[in-house]
Amino acid sequence: MSFDVLLQVLIGGVLLGGLYALVAFGLSLIYGVVRILNFAHGTLLAVSGVLASLAFSAWGMQPLLIAALLAPLMFVCAYGYYHLLLRPLTKRNHFESTVGTVLVTVGTLMMLSDITAKAAGATQRNIPLRLPAIEFGEIVISTTQLLILAGIVLLTVVMHLLLKRTWFGRAVRAVTQDATGAQICGVQSTRIKALTFAFGSATVAIAAVLYVLSFPVDPYMGFGLTVKAFTIIVVGGIGNLPGALAAGVFLGVAEGLTGLYWKPEWAPAISVVAMLLILVVFPKRVGARI
Amino acid sequence: MSGANEYTVRAPSVPRMWSGSKMAGRLLGTAVIVALAAMPFVGNAYTTTFIFSVLIAYILAQSWDWVAGEMGYVNLGHYCFYGIGAYGFAIALTGHWPFVVALGFAVVVTGLVALFVSVPLFRLHGDYFAFGTLALLPLMEVLAYNLTPITNGADGVVLPVAQVLKPAYLLALAACVITFLATLRINRVRFGYALKSIRNDEQVAETVGVRIGPVKRKVLVLSAVFGALAGALQAWQMSYIDPATVFGLNVALVPVAMVLFAGSGLRWGPLVGVVVLASMQQWLLVSVQGYQAALYGLTILLIGRFMPGGFLRAKWVRRVPLLSSLAREHHEYNGESAPLTRSTADLPLKRLPVDRQKPLIELQDVRMQFGGNVAVNDISLKIMQGEIIGLVGPNGSGKTTLFNCISRVYTPTAGRVMFAGQDLSQLGRDQIARLGVGRTYQIPRPFGDLTVQENIAIPLMFGDDPLSPRDALREARAFVEYAELSPRLLARADALSVQEKKALEFARALACKPRLLLVDEVASGLTPAEVKRFVEHIRHVRDRYGITVIWVEHIFSALQQVVDRVIVLEQGSLIADGALSDVVKDERVLRTYLGTAAAAHAPQPAIGPLASGAA
Repeated sequence: MSFDVLLQVLIGGVLLGGLYALVAFGLSLIYGVVRILNFAHGTLLAVSGVLASLAFSAWGMQPLLIAALLAPLMFVCAYGYYHLLLRPLTKRNHFESTVGTVLVTVGTLMMLSDITAKAAGATQRNIPLRLPAIEFGEIVISTTQLLILAGIVLLTVVMHLLLKRTWFGRAVRAVTQDATGAQICGVQSTRIKALTFAFGSATVAIAAVLYVLSFPVDPYMGFGLTVKAFTIIVVGGIGNLPGALAAGVFLGVAEGLTGLYWKPEWAPAISVVAMLLILVVFPKRVGARI
Repeated sequence: MSGANEYTVRAPSVPRMWSGSKMAGRLLGTAVIVALAAMPFVGNAYTTTFIFSVLIAYILAQSWDWVAGEMGYVNLGHYCFYGIGAYGFAIALTGHWPFVVALGFAVVVTGLVALFVSVPLFRLHGDYFAFGTLALLPLMEVLAYNLTPITNGADGVVLPVAQVLKPAYLLALAACVITFLATLRINRVRFGYALKSIRNDEQVAETVGVRIGPVKRKVLVLSAVFGALAGALQAWQMSYIDPATVFGLNVALVPVAMVLFAGSGLRWGPLVGVVVLASMQQWLLVSVQGYQAALYGLTILLIGRFMPGGFLRAKWVRRVPLLSSLAREHHEYNGESAPLTRSTADLPLKRLPVDRQKPLIELQDVRMQFGGNVAVNDISLKIMQGEIIGLVGPNGSGKTTLFNCISRVYTPTAGRVMFAGQDLSQLGRDQIARLGVGRTYQIPRPFGDLTVQENIAIPLMFGDDPLSPRDALREARAFVEYAELSPRLLARADALSVQEKKALEFARALACKPRLLLVDEVASGLTPAEVKRFVEHIRHVRDRYGITVIWVEHIFSALQQVVDRVIVLEQGSLIADGALSDVVKDERVLRTYLGTAAAAHAPQPAIGPLASGAA
């Protein structure tokens, strides 16, 4: 096995892991604040990715523009979705609201996948944007990958600042720790919940554009991604951005290495097995807070 | 004695009415089963195949609901067991094993897999459990696709069978009947009550003596075994399986949706849901081209949004004659089997021998630390048999934490708790409860969706000398009487007022047949008359049954009437231990409770040599 290939796999793994982490972080923000596990979260990436690739190939739109359009669109849709379908369930008793949200989000997942597949085809797509590569002696680094990396870093920094420095971020952290307490202190928790749900979903739209630049998407890949995101939350902790990044990169690299040294077909199993193992070895890890 | 009261428990008129219709119900049920059994011989293949799919769906749905409806764990990966059963059976049959052996193999393998995955999965609760189980589906799908030498990968397995619709149908019908009977049985035996207590509050279930770990594993394995049976029969009938048909996400949640659609945890919920939704699905399949998954997703979404509790629980259903009898909760079937024979305040408790020289419980340097916060700071004390101890101290001084250390809700960071000469450090909550530690919670935690009677019957079923549910329910009535809750005997516990809940908790703690009773602020927020009644209850259980009591309370006037001794905590440390009249004059106690000004005005000679710390 040549060093080049290994390096490429590692770089790919890191990028993929960074994207996983972004998806996971959105999911964990939503879980922390809204207390809903959105089973359709990964499917949002699949659908946004397909849309982005269509926008690129059909209308020749630039990825940056696509992201700038998709994110607000996703924000608005998710905001409406929360108010229309999820918020009414919070008034029910615990068991009913749990199964209710599970059914609503799983139903959404199935609808989104099926409709996207019917409308755009169930094939794999990406954005075939090819930029000139940069060469350091023997090592060739693709500019696209550098752009994706820059995008991941930028998005992470923006999210971090948003959470730590803004009123919205403080409200989000307050509601995550104690929703009632935050409400008593004047945080309009319903509004914060809707905004967080929308915000978490919008980050997925941006992650989707970065994703399709380098990796293929298809309408049915979403749930596998949600499982990975969940594994990352279990490992990294809820609302923990650095934790999510570390866990995401670990998972991405592990999947890449599995593909390299074993068989790529086994890569999807890594996250589930890792999650189950972690549950056995570190049972207390689950549900760690900010 | 306050317990003697004039309430007479009127035997509800329900059972008599039902004993007649029970017979009719059985006859009707038998008739339906016979008619269904005749189906493959008189009906066409299309109808038979459709009914077969309904039967399979019922086995899946009902076995799922044992875990969800009864125990409250939403297992979204139940379909895995179906798939493993189908694959196990198919592989065994292609290996030319006899049918029965193949079926047994499928069931046993699936049961073992369930036992294996239950270890990590039951570390999860709520949404996390739902997610963890759902993640099993893609894992199994990957395995089925990639373990090509065994599963034949994406090509699937072709079973070496010809036309077996008739026997498969009859077997599925038999399995359905067994599933239904098993459901009835689960709701009659102790196992079922263990599930119901877990559904309501796992921690409380443990502190009343239920060993929850084995119960959880057992029900998961049981449901997996029935799921595997359904999968094997389906594989036999179709004579072909591939990964997508047995592990696909769009098929996997169908049985779940069916149960929730009609009502999880109801006797008839899974059956009604399966029949209605399967018919609808069949109609969709015939009349709509394409977008089936989307339509099914929409159905699931709408069920989740508008009736996650099931339509049988809607208010209008209660008014429709036929439907209302399908909508009855399990506990509504619990008619009163025997009239109350004794009309007394006597509890069915044995009188414990009391030797005031012998310690019942001894704490040795018990320490409880949460991060940097020391909630209980190296406390040592001894409590003798038959003593009534008042445990006082400002809010946050560690009283409840100390209780939690004794009943093992928390595991102490350091130190030992000796109970009747036995070290509690290696024991679980349920074992400690069975040894004889009963407790109440500061904020009452009754099993909300069970009746008052069932709440008290549960500790009687899981005590040292376990009773059958029937006997436990009967014996529970004496405790209900004692707590003056007789008019509320068949009411759901979450419908009680706060005082009634506290009375229920007290009675439930007594039903653990404790040697040591830990009472946590049971009198706060009560009227003087109610407080007086509690004081009398506490004195009575000690005087009559020899129960040792530790009572956390802020109402000194109440403590004064009954305690032998008070122990004062401040910021986790023991600062005074002695007779109440002495302790209230202690300078540190006064300062702690009332501030320094009060201490300055304290009568001088009162500060005496108080024993602080244990001997």
